[in-house]
Amino acid sequence: MFKLIFLKELRDIIQSSRFTISFAVCSVLIILAFVMGAQNYLASKAQYDAAIQENRNQIAANTEWMMVEHSIMLPPQPLMTLVNGVSNDIGRNISMSGRGELRSENTRFNDEPIFAVFRFMDLEFIFGIILSLFAIIFAYDAINGEKNRGTLKLCFANPVSRAGYIGGKLAGSFVGLSVALLIPILIGCALLPVLGVQLSADEWLRLALILIAGIAYFGVFLAIAITISASTVKPSNAFLIGLVVWIFAVLIIPRTSVLISGRIVDVPNVDEITAQKNRYRSQLFDEDRPKMSNFQLPEGTEMEDAMGVFQSFMSDLSEARQEKVDIFNARLNEDYTNKKRQQERLALSLSRISPTSAFTLAATELAGTSLTLQNHFMDAAYTYQESYADFMNEKTGSNRSSGFRMVMITTDDTGEEPDPLDPDELPQFTFESQDVASASQAGMVDLSLLILFNLIFFGGAFRAFLNYDLR
Amino acid sequence: MQNTTIKAAPLLEAINLSKVYEDGVKALNALNVTVREGEIYAMLGGNGAGKTTTINIFLDFIQPTSGQALIHGVNANELPLEAKKHVAFVSENVQLYPNFTAMQNLDFFVRLGGKSNYKRGDYENALIRVGLQSDAFDKKLKDFSKGMRQKCGIAIAILKDAPAILLDEPTSGLDPKAGKEFTRLIAELRDEGKAILMSTHDIFRAKEIADFVGILNNGELVAEKTRAELEGVNLEDLYVEYMAGYMDEVAENGSSLANNLSEA
Repeated sequence: MFKLIFLKELRDIIQSSRFTISFAVCSVLIILAFVMGAQNYLASKAQYDAAIQENRNQIAANTEWMMVEHSIMLPPQPLMTLVNGVSNDIGRNISMSGRGELRSENTRFNDEPIFAVFRFMDLEFIFGIILSLFAIIFAYDAINGEKNRGTLKLCFANPVSRAGYIGGKLAGSFVGLSVALLIPILIGCALLPVLGVQLSADEWLRLALILIAGIAYFGVFLAIAITISASTVKPSNAFLIGLVVWIFAVLIIPRTSVLISGRIVDVPNVDEITAQKNRYRSQLFDEDRPKMSNFQLPEGTEMEDAMGVFQSFMSDLSEARQEKVDIFNARLNEDYTNKKRQQERLALSLSRISPTSAFTLAATELAGTSLTLQNHFMDAAYTYQESYADFMNEKTGSNRSSGFRMVMITTDDTGEEPDPLDPDELPQFTFESQDVASASQAGMVDLSLLILFNLIFFGGAFRAFLNYDLR
Repeated sequence: MQNTTIKAAPLLEAINLSKVYEDGVKALNALNVTVREGEIYAMLGGNGAGKTTTINIFLDFIQPTSGQALIHGVNANELPLEAKKHVAFVSENVQLYPNFTAMQNLDFFVRLGGKSNYKRGDYENALIRVGLQSDAFDKKLKDFSKGMRQKCGIAIAILKDAPAILLDEPTSGLDPKAGKEFTRLIAELRDEGKAILMSTHDIFRAKEIADFVGILNNGELVAEKTRAELEGVNLEDLYVEYMAGYMDEVAENGSSLANNLSEA
């Protein structure tokens, strides 16, 4: 019986004009998302390669390591372009210094603000917004539509159990629509290498997990729509309720949870913190100003040593100041980071009552474009800072940081031009995205939530139908 | 020596069947109806008389407040899956799956009824028997007229080959030609030994083919006549009198046709 209903449902879906239209639209959108993702990735990669080359050229144009302005960049990853997450919102460049705070700058949306207005049509958007809506459109009349057509009564004039019927219907709808979605997705996947995007085995695995999360998410909305259909008499009412649920789940809850957590956990804004840091730095400088004004060369200092003594004095002052600044900044940053993370945790926990949030979080964790991307990038930058500092110490004899610095360049009397710097001498910055095990572990909570939502709403549909008036 | 007639066992039986809804509306009141093999029982009555409620109880779509509905001796509300093996149903407005062809609809519903050994030829024969042309077999149901859909519905009932058939106003909305063809098919099924319980507003067809006519008013069976008893009686007058609520008046003056019939 289950098999018969299951196969009927599959056939009914596939032979409907609603399916034909939706399938065509979804296929175009999904393939478009892959193609646009691939093009974005290739463009970002070209931009990244050009910036790296420019950085090398700038190093090679110098003869003194002291004069080098080195920056590191967040390399584009193929999955970032399929599931953007926060990758376009965080700074991709960090101006490197041997010590002190590092700050990422130059976001994608800085360069191209038009994309910030309309955002990209990535896989997460297709699943999160479009396919969830299609699930509602497909299934809002799954039960009450059959009742209104009279087919429900005709079915149950036969020895058919309600459990077998609703089970077959749920499974048939889910499999029919999911398999139909998988076709353009697989075509999109096959297009990636053709379009020049080479994914590693690890990335393929993560993409597969993202697709599983997407299908599970689609299943949640399908089950919600069937539950509503089995709880209402008129399809028009079911559609309206479905639409309201969709609006709350997709648009309201995720945004509201961020607002609520913002109200509950007060986080100082970045400008305020920067102002505090600047004020403290100025205060220390003002404290040092009399010392600098009253500087006197020790008696008996030879004129040729005067510059060295003065530089050493200034360097000591600067070092001492920087040490205090570093401690102060670290305290402020730690406080800021703790509060921010607390706020984020609360916002994410609240938002997870919406399947859309659960899907977004799972997909971005698996793609490596979640909120942790920035932390991950900054961690890698600070790790690199250590090797960069060692290198600069070795090359210049000092660890360069921001702030006042006096440089005296002397030439020997041979009249020969010094050799240009070799960029290959500089330690290479490498950014490794999370491995599949870590990404899966991070995304597992939300993937499990999606499965739980499926069970809850499939159970809800089951229960609603067991009490449904078949007349 | 007495001359006794051996009657066939009842295939559809309502025994003191009552239904009172939660809002207190009494839909059926101690209804007793019996339909045996090779009989057509037509239930006549206005809207809300209890005809469809009776059929819904036989199909276990609603539970009776008291009494029993038996199909082939099986309580339809206690063992619905077993009971439904022995009954086929044709509704007022057969709406099969519009995106399926006639063949696909037949195949699905016949299998749902427990028959999985039919071949395409069997489906074709059933569709030809109900009067559908062969060019309609593979057309989608959304392109069918109401009459054609009703024919598909009766073809499904034929193929289910159940001993009892429930028909809920099957000729409602059909044009005279389609209605006549439908009546012919019902009569054929009766002649094959099916027990048919039919609810209808169509007095003429009821009189034409029914072996028993029961008139329901406010959930009560107010009259039950055999074909022989209806000979020479204007069933329309009888029906209108009952439906118009003239029963009290009739009882008082004792001059109505219904009263005469009761006396007879």
